[in-house]
Amino acid sequence: MKYDAIVIGAGANGLVTAHYLARAGKRVLVVEQHPSADPSADVGWIPAAVMRDLRLAGSGLRIDEPDPWITAPLPAGGTLELSRDIARSTEAIRRISPADAGKWPEFCRRMRSLAGVLERLYLVPPPDIESNDVRELTRIAGLGLYVRRLGKQTVIDLARILPMSIAELLDDWFESDVLKGLLGALGVWHLKQGPRSGGTAFNFLHHHAGSPIGVFRPARSNITQALSKLPGVEVRRGARAMVLARNGTATGVVLEKSGETIEAPLVASSAPPRATLQPLAIELYPDFARAVGNIKARGVVARGTLTLEPPPAYSTLCIAPSLDYLERAYDDAKYGKDSTAPYVEVQRTDGRVEVHVQFVPPGTHGGLAERVAQILNVRPNQVELQPAEESLYHGELTLDQILFMRPVPGWSRYRTPIEGLYLCGSGTHPGGGIPGAAGRNAAREIL
Amino acid sequence: MKRYDAIVIGGGHNGLVTAAYLARAKKSVLVLERRPRVGGAAVTEEIFPGFKFTMFSYVVSLLRPEIIRDLDLPRHGLHILPLESTVTPMENGDYLAAWGDHDETRRELYRHSPRDAEAYDEYGRLMHFMAQAVKPILGMVPPDPTSFAPGDLAGLLKLGKHFRALGGERLHALVKLMTMSSADFLDEWFETDVLKATKSASGIIGTFLGPRSPGTAYVLLHHYMGELDGVFRAWGFAKGGTGAVSEAIASAARSFGAEIRCDAGVSKVLVRNGRATGVVLENGDELSAGIVVSSLDPRRTFLQLLASNELPAEFVADIKRFKFRGSSGKVNLALDSLPSFSCMPGIGRQHRGAFSISPSLDYVERAYDDAKYGEFSRRPYMDIVFPSMIDPGMAPPGKHVMSIFVQYAPYNLNGGWTDAKREAFGDAVVNTVESFAPGFKSKILHRQVITPLDIERITGLSEGNIFAGELALHQLFFLRPAPGWAKFATPVRGFYQAGSGTHPGGGIMGASGRLAAMRILKDGGGA
Amino acid sequence: MSLRTTPFHPRTGPLSEGQAWRRWAGYVVASAYELSHDREYHAIRNSAALFDVSPLYKYLVTGRDAARLLDHVVTRNVGKAKVGQVLYTPWCDNEGKQIDDGTISVLGEQTFRMTSADPTLRWLHLNSSGLDVTIQDVSETTAAVSLQGPSSREILQLAAERDLSALKYFRLTSAKIRGIPVTISRTGYTGDLGFEVWVDASQAVPLWDALIETGTPYGITPAGMLALDVARIEAGLLLIEVDYFSSRHALIEAQKSSPLELGLGWTVATDKARYNGQAALDAERTRGPAWQFTGLTVDWDSLEQLYAEVGLPPRLPSQAWRTSVPIYDRSGNKQLGYATSGGWSPLLKRYMALAHLGSEHAPGTEVRMELTVEHRRKQAQAHVTPLPFFNPERKRA
Ligand SMILES: Cc1cc2nc3c(=O)[nH]c(=O)nc-3n(C[C@H](O)[C@H](O)[C@H](O)COP(=O)(O)OP(=O)(O)OC[C@H]3O[C@@H](n4cnc5c(N)ncnc54)[C@H](O)[C@@H]3O)c2cc1C
Ligand SMILES: Cc1cc2nc3c(=O)[nH]c(=O)nc-3n(C[C@H](O)[C@H](O)[C@H](O)COP(=O)(O)OP(=O)(O)OC[C@H]3O[C@@H](n4cnc5c(N)ncnc54)[C@H](O)[C@@H]3O)c2cc1C
Repeated sequence: MKYDAIVIGAGANGLVTAHYLARAGKRVLVVEQHPSADPSADVGWIPAAVMRDLRLAGSGLRIDEPDPWITAPLPAGGTLELSRDIARSTEAIRRISPADAGKWPEFCRRMRSLAGVLERLYLVPPPDIESNDVRELTRIAGLGLYVRRLGKQTVIDLARILPMSIAELLDDWFESDVLKGLLGALGVWHLKQGPRSGGTAFNFLHHHAGSPIGVFRPARSNITQALSKLPGVEVRRGARAMVLARNGTATGVVLEKSGETIEAPLVASSAPPRATLQPLAIELYPDFARAVGNIKARGVVARGTLTLEPPPAYSTLCIAPSLDYLERAYDDAKYGKDSTAPYVEVQRTDGRVEVHVQFVPPGTHGGLAERVAQILNVRPNQVELQPAEESLYHGELTLDQILFMRPVPGWSRYRTPIEGLYLCGSGTHPGGGIPGAAGRNAAREIL
Repeated sequence: MKRYDAIVIGGGHNGLVTAAYLARAKKSVLVLERRPRVGGAAVTEEIFPGFKFTMFSYVVSLLRPEIIRDLDLPRHGLHILPLESTVTPMENGDYLAAWGDHDETRRELYRHSPRDAEAYDEYGRLMHFMAQAVKPILGMVPPDPTSFAPGDLAGLLKLGKHFRALGGERLHALVKLMTMSSADFLDEWFETDVLKATKSASGIIGTFLGPRSPGTAYVLLHHYMGELDGVFRAWGFAKGGTGAVSEAIASAARSFGAEIRCDAGVSKVLVRNGRATGVVLENGDELSAGIVVSSLDPRRTFLQLLASNELPAEFVADIKRFKFRGSSGKVNLALDSLPSFSCMPGIGRQHRGAFSISPSLDYVERAYDDAKYGEFSRRPYMDIVFPSMIDPGMAPPGKHVMSIFVQYAPYNLNGGWTDAKREAFGDAVVNTVESFAPGFKSKILHRQVITPLDIERITGLSEGNIFAGELALHQLFFLRPAPGWAKFATPVRGFYQAGSGTHPGGGIMGASGRLAAMRILKDGGGA
Repeated sequence: MSLRTTPFHPRTGPLSEGQAWRRWAGYVVASAYELSHDREYHAIRNSAALFDVSPLYKYLVTGRDAARLLDHVVTRNVGKAKVGQVLYTPWCDNEGKQIDDGTISVLGEQTFRMTSADPTLRWLHLNSSGLDVTIQDVSETTAAVSLQGPSSREILQLAAERDLSALKYFRLTSAKIRGIPVTISRTGYTGDLGFEVWVDASQAVPLWDALIETGTPYGITPAGMLALDVARIEAGLLLIEVDYFSSRHALIEAQKSSPLELGLGWTVATDKARYNGQAALDAERTRGPAWQFTGLTVDWDSLEQLYAEVGLPPRLPSQAWRTSVPIYDRSGNKQLGYATSGGWSPLLKRYMALAHLGSEHAPGTEVRMELTVEHRRKQAQAHVTPLPFFNPERKRA
């Protein structure tokens, strides 16, 4: 069997790339290390273009947009529930802080307009600021103009807020610990940073991209499942692949266990950039290899499932009672320990109950499940956690690892120094939490 | 009553620089200083007879060489002597040292890690490039990216060209420096923890951030800037302490005809029809001038010297948001004799340089953790120098003074600062030094402990922030001190700002004061 | 805490008459042992000169992928080299600009010793990820002397008690000198018949004594860097930081040079797998390098005339110089390039210089070199001369 292209990884991005390539007439093989598709929900905004281009609408794709989008316990008992309707959220907030309630609509509006800028940046390859190409320069100028047209306030907000810490941003607006805690949690998602770290305001906005105004949790979907069922590409599961290259050109992949080699003139990997490129070091210039080695992709999240009978009433429960709570959770991680009191978020999607626990750096994790169980008031055997050794985003979304700096500085156009080898996963622009965006950008760049 | 062309509020080094440049341009200038002496955070005071303390700032590297030349400061007594080394005692009894001689430093690093010894050179070259790349910005009035004025657009374009000219590799390094934590940035280069700890320490100076907080890599670069001006060692010590720098500038200003009045605190800026016309002194006297310049920090300048109805509400909100969060303290000691550090026993050339108490990244980070939750560091980061070893005139013969810069001491201490807390803080500092230099405590003759609250009370720097406002990314360049008002003018006509709270920021640099003077002269200068 | 001395210092220290020392890689080595370096120079060309070259950086690269690593780094084909061979080679960055140059001794199938002018440990490590190699910095533990000159073979044969006539140019062998295990390579930095002897640092002093004792009847002369500098210019051998800048130190693009521009085209292999700079060098070779590194001979008559104009006999530099000197075309108006080293060859009796010129200026082209005569800037006539200036048969024979 001869293939035009091999895609490594059957996650959302790998499959999206594969299908775009297939639609362009290429014979595509996808190789996935896991024997079966991951049943867990995909968290993140699915760009409309992906749904449209791949006709996902009629393919069993379900997008869950829970309302209320978050439930957080209040210290005095009861909960704070924020819904998709701003007026209702405002009323809910008013019960804990009238001052915060007064600012909520304006906050939502400002954040929405900033996230809008990101959305625009995310559906295209990152600007190449080194380029001397007139078309690229025009495109950058166009982006600049677009931003300036949004008004002075947006420009100032962008410059001021992106490098800020989420704690500073929220302290500027609100007084309620619970409100700041549940918003602040989004700022540290998948980062080895606490809410007082600069750049977490950006991470917050990144995860707001694609959501409606006033909703600060991304949608959940089964896009990976839906893509898996889409016809048009061959998927081989249970086979871990390594890229083969000779004299600076990709020649195909070799499967780890069987040793089988499959040739193709084009390989696109949605596996983490470091895992893809490091074995090829001898084909690479050391400065590039070093940049790949320097990608920060520190694992801090344990994902898992909860067995709850009956399923809970809430759709999303957030345990992050204050910014200091999150900060202390991070402090432990700084010294290589699991958070004594971790940030825990429970997500119910289609009857599956999943849990996100942070901060869980690589280590032995003694007593972690017990602590999470205690926080959630369930038995330890109801909690099953899988700590991730590396960032699930294949590279943390810190300011030094986004746009033209992602996955490594100067190589943000999905290409690699190895001819015919492309990257198309979360490790590339625009990064994790937006299933399909990187895959689509990469496919368009390849084509 | 005499009407001056310009009144400068605050006789810190920036105010003095502004005054000197204005006077040099033949303006009649009056400097009003609240304290009995000029200098602000750059003063030398004989707190105990015979012992001269560099009360606050203690080393110089950023002072713009063009100021030294333009004002002919050496003629007015300025002499900057080199600090020769940095020694970091480690918890295991070993040390890490950087010496004046490159080969010697290389050999010392090699002892810790052969690879780091090589990386150090490459790193040094990169930082040199980066400082070179950023330096022109220090001498530039920041363009306003929100404005469509031709001048701003041209400025932005020029800036864009400048950065693109750096080429990919350095441009990327610059982005990293602007956004990363110093620990992460240094991790990309080195494996020796104590080396990273000591280097990262210069990234936390004056910030309420730890070495692992993003944004600290920029401060690292800010402190590299001084290395460019042909000085072999970055940091120097001014003969007579940093007060001598202020005195030299004051003397230059006077030589150009400026008048400097001490014990003359200003309580209000007089504004008539949206235009500054003079000032009211704390004693009630009114003085009038063509223009008024404040070298105080933005909070004092706009929220104290002016009534809020004289400023746009949006601007007031921005200034209120400007972060100070003082985190540094100072302990100044009079010593009977020099202490011997157990990592490098005896008294020797190491005492002519700095001792950095930064034995590991975790040590410095934990010092920050304490402060994050409102306590002073139980085991703080410290930068120690012995001014009397460089300038023997700082202490009676045979005796010594010791300057200890300390982080962290949060301005907002849980429960607030009290005399007892101040002494407890002093004890934490002295006991930590003692743990690296046994017997040290017995040599102390006198001790002066300065908390951020003391810094605020004495110098007026809000919340005791040493840079008159944190050097955080969102408080730099066209955002310093507020968007739209980073060009030394203010919303009140004829009223200018010239202190460290404006671009390019703090340290004994004089750049703000000079740029402000340039701006004022361009605008016509009051006359 | 002062600079480090080399393992030979117990012997070289007392020899220094003028205490003229120079820094080299963090060590002190003699500039000249005698008050003038003349005799030391003539020993190189007339009998045998003994140099302490211990400060060279030396790395032992071993393991299954040792050759692969080195091939990834340098421009020559290490995989093809045979055990016992020594390769002189440059190495480059990704743009084909030279980082450094040095030698690789093939000590065994999987054992190589690399020398370099700059520290290279980190660079080797950065290049070695995923490879099965061990890189040891043996700079401190390995001492080295260089014995150069027409009598060097006889002296070494006697000292090593074995026939070295079969040891060809750029080959090495192991041997014992008075029971001390050494490696002898037929290499050097003088362009003459010569050898370098590598020894464990602990045996450095007895080795020195053995060589001096054996060599005294043959006129062996300890020599310093000043004499070496003259000889290496005669031999047309480049010196890093003088004749070219490491591309990793260069501040601007224009300071970088490629091996093709430095006359090292012969060291850039065309028959090997991917290595650093390959694509750029292949392209440059096709295009033809823009610059050449060449010799210049300053015409004596011109020199004489320039001095005669002020009533002086010609003055010659007493030592080799290392400054950048502009080179102009014969009209004296257009700058063609610059010379980086130069000096008087006492043997060839000519004033020579090493220069970077546009590659279009063929040997024999008349150019002008700037020089100062009695405080005034003048231009002396010179001719492009192929390198080396001096190339005796005995070097390779
Ligand atoms: C377990 C898990 C939990 C996540 N949780 C969250 C979350 O809570 N919130 C959130 O916003 N995002 C989460 N993400 C990330 C989010 O799903 C991704 O951003 C999104 O799915 C796009 O992913 P991707 O296709 O780029 O990468 P991935 O989903 O990581 O897909 C890469 C695929 O490649 C496969 N692979 C890797 N190496 C090889 C190899 N050598 N050979 C063959 N196959 C290989 C992997 O098994 C994987 O299936 C999670 C991802 C995972 C894997
Ligand atoms: C503890 C400490 C250590 C430091 N260490 C260093 C160092 O080692 N190296 C370095 O480069 N920098 C250091 N700095 C920073 C540096 O000292 C300052 O950034 C710099 O001195 C500020 O100069 P300035 O002129 O802008 O302001 P200031 O020096 O603060 O001057 C303002 C002046 O205004 C006066 N004033 C205040 N209110 C009024 C009023 N109402 N009317 C009239 N006058 C008034 C004050 O008394 C003061 O003299 C340190 C600072 C501190 C506090």
